[in-house]
Amino acid sequence: MPQRRVLIVDDALFMRNTLRDIFTNAGFAVAGEADDGVQAVNLFRELKPDLVTMDIVMPYKSGIDATREIVQLDPAAVVIMCSALGQESLVMEAIEAGATDFIVKPFRGEDVLAVVKKVLGE
Amino acid sequence: MAEGAHKYLPLFVAEAIEHLTALASELVKLEHEPRGGPLWDSVFRRLHSVKGSAATVGLPAIVAISHAAEALIGKLKASGAQPDRTQIDLLLQATDALTREVERAAAELKREGQGASSLVALLENASKALPEITPPPAVKPSEKPAEKPAALDPALPRLDVFFSLSKTCQAPGARALIAQRKLRALGTLVEMEPSPQQLMQKKGGARVSALLATARSLDEVRAAFSGIPEVEEVEVRVAPLGAGPAPEIAADEPQGQLRAVGGAISVDDGRPEATVRVRAQALDQLLDQAAEVLHGIARLRESARKLPESLAGNFEAEIDRLRRTARELHGRVMTARLTPFSALTERLPRAVREMAHRLGKEVDLEVQGSEVELDRTVIDALGDPLTHLVRNAIDHGFETSAQRAAVHKSPRGKLLLHARRERDKVLVEISDDGRGLDVAGLRTRAVEMGALLPGRAAELTEQQCLELAFLPGLSTRAEATDLSGRGVGLDAVKAAVEALGGKLSVRSTAGRGSQFTLELPLSVSMANLLLVQVGGELYGLPLHRVVVTTEHDLSARGGEGFEARSIAVMGQLLRAYSLSKLFGLPSLAPPGPRPFAVLEVDGITFALSVDRLVGQEEAVLKPLFPPLDRIKGLAGTTVLGNGRPLLVLDPRGLYELAESAARLKGAA
Repeated sequence: MPQRRVLIVDDALFMRNTLRDIFTNAGFAVAGEADDGVQAVNLFRELKPDLVTMDIVMPYKSGIDATREIVQLDPAAVVIMCSALGQESLVMEAIEAGATDFIVKPFRGEDVLAVVKKVLGE
Repeated sequence: MAEGAHKYLPLFVAEAIEHLTALASELVKLEHEPRGGPLWDSVFRRLHSVKGSAATVGLPAIVAISHAAEALIGKLKASGAQPDRTQIDLLLQATDALTREVERAAAELKREGQGASSLVALLENASKALPEITPPPAVKPSEKPAEKPAALDPALPRLDVFFSLSKTCQAPGARALIAQRKLRALGTLVEMEPSPQQLMQKKGGARVSALLATARSLDEVRAAFSGIPEVEEVEVRVAPLGAGPAPEIAADEPQGQLRAVGGAISVDDGRPEATVRVRAQALDQLLDQAAEVLHGIARLRESARKLPESLAGNFEAEIDRLRRTARELHGRVMTARLTPFSALTERLPRAVREMAHRLGKEVDLEVQGSEVELDRTVIDALGDPLTHLVRNAIDHGFETSAQRAAVHKSPRGKLLLHARRERDKVLVEISDDGRGLDVAGLRTRAVEMGALLPGRAAELTEQQCLELAFLPGLSTRAEATDLSGRGVGLDAVKAAVEALGGKLSVRSTAGRGSQFTLELPLSVSMANLLLVQVGGELYGLPLHRVVVTTEHDLSARGGEGFEARSIAVMGQLLRAYSLSKLFGLPSLAPPGPRPFAVLEVDGITFALSVDRLVGQEEAVLKPLFPPLDRIKGLAGTTVLGNGRPLLVLDPRGLYELAESAARLKGAA
């Protein structure tokens, strides 16, 4: 199987680094990182990743709006929302906007990978 | 249904339900209402109003039932006769039937959504026929397969689909929404119970059943679930013929429950205050965001301290003004969330009547202060405890009519529910004029259970004996009845009231009755907590500050004696502190890897070691009282669902505490 390519979107450097380690340790390639929704949409268009992890609350453009635009660009895009506990209604809004699935912070590496593998059908 | 009437159908549904709910409780009171009393007019008017609106909207079944019921009420009123029990039962049945019809109309409304989607398809086709200038309107990919405008083909096989959401699922509503989308992609989802909206914030696992009309095979439907995390025990089988109601599209309806804001339920003689209906959920979000604004302002204020003095004065004055406005905003949202006590008591008269009759008792319920308002969180959490106390009173408190007659009491027992506001508290009293609590019995049972030594029991005052009723597992009744009893006791009621930041007390006089008093806060703030254990003590960490939890073995780097050092978490070096050291508690963690919570405050990320991660819990946060409020690192207190008190930690304070300790050490 070719190496899967991930785009990580989060305004917190710590979260981006954490996710990058989880993915690289599991054999994924991190195609790019974005720290706001505008950049996320631009990078998605440019990099065509297999998977996007998307924070919800971000400057300039929320993760929900970015997800909506990404799904418009590619209806088959796999976008996984990274939400904090208590953001359930936002997560549901994101799913309505076309997000594929979600994970809830605080998360462990294996939780993230379990969700990713499930939605990628691996 | 009449063409063109749909525009006001949602309003009709909301109003009719309000009328019918009130009607049920008024009918119960009607049994004892004097001839020509105001209640007769109110009952008549409600039925008449429902009938009139139903006719306008075009719902003949509702018109027919309400017309017949109205005629019966009219005759009873004109004859001046007291209605008997069978007549009231019949009218209550009519109310139920009307409610069902209105709910059916509401479901009809949802189905109209499908008609709308066919219109959307036509509009989109028309757009597509035009040259592309601007991007076409967004169509959610998930909607494409399922939302074909075709009516449900009756020849399509119907499948029963059952699945469970795992106990650890943190967002069951969102999880169910994903499952719902998957099912819609396979065919027509006829029903799904509970709906994603109903599952929101219902953690701890749930079983969902759905009815799907589809040409796909059982295996194809089963396979669709393999790509959804946190979904277990999937069962798919062919549904029995004729299963399920007409198809509905649950997600098209407005989410969440509707409620009137401003407390303006039309007053008998005055004109109703203008109101709009908003989703209760929207108010919750608004409240969260108002709180977030306040936090943001607090952070700004903190940053302002670093400004040069020439700038700081002006800046702080502006921030103070902003904070006052934000506080007012927060307060107003809190007020909008207030719900009248009647939300809890509206259904009680009927329940009380039925319960009492089942036990061969006669009980009159009186509710006072139903207009008193409480925070919605309190109202929501109060339903079970209140029902429990009412059941207890009917089951154990009241004597039978014959027993009452024997002691020269009125044959009808009186149950009084009284709510009243007292400064920043609301008091709710539940009093009965029954036999009173069995003081001697409570004393004996407490000794039998081993909760009390016989010598000590003899010393207790009568009031102290009454309070024994709140001990877990204590009941003076030998066996549980099917009404109350069955393991849930007054201890559970007490725990529920205390979890809201309230108090429960009891008074009782033998032969005269008992009174339970709930002292409740007007408003509460909820917090999600990560429970951690250190030195045998339990603490709560605000979960929104916890970035990740991890394990780390420090013994490899020189044992347990660390004050502050760094650990690598996911390839990043973080300052690590020990909670037991910070609080001067002994660490009871076994040697080897220990758990860390990685916390983030104002852009600072650090790790905190604890003995054990215990779990998560949602709890009401209460401010600290002196002198605890002067201790750095504490944010508040709370009472857990099991009644246990808990200190909630303040990550920012902990960090400052740790840093100053480290500095002191460095200087020494």
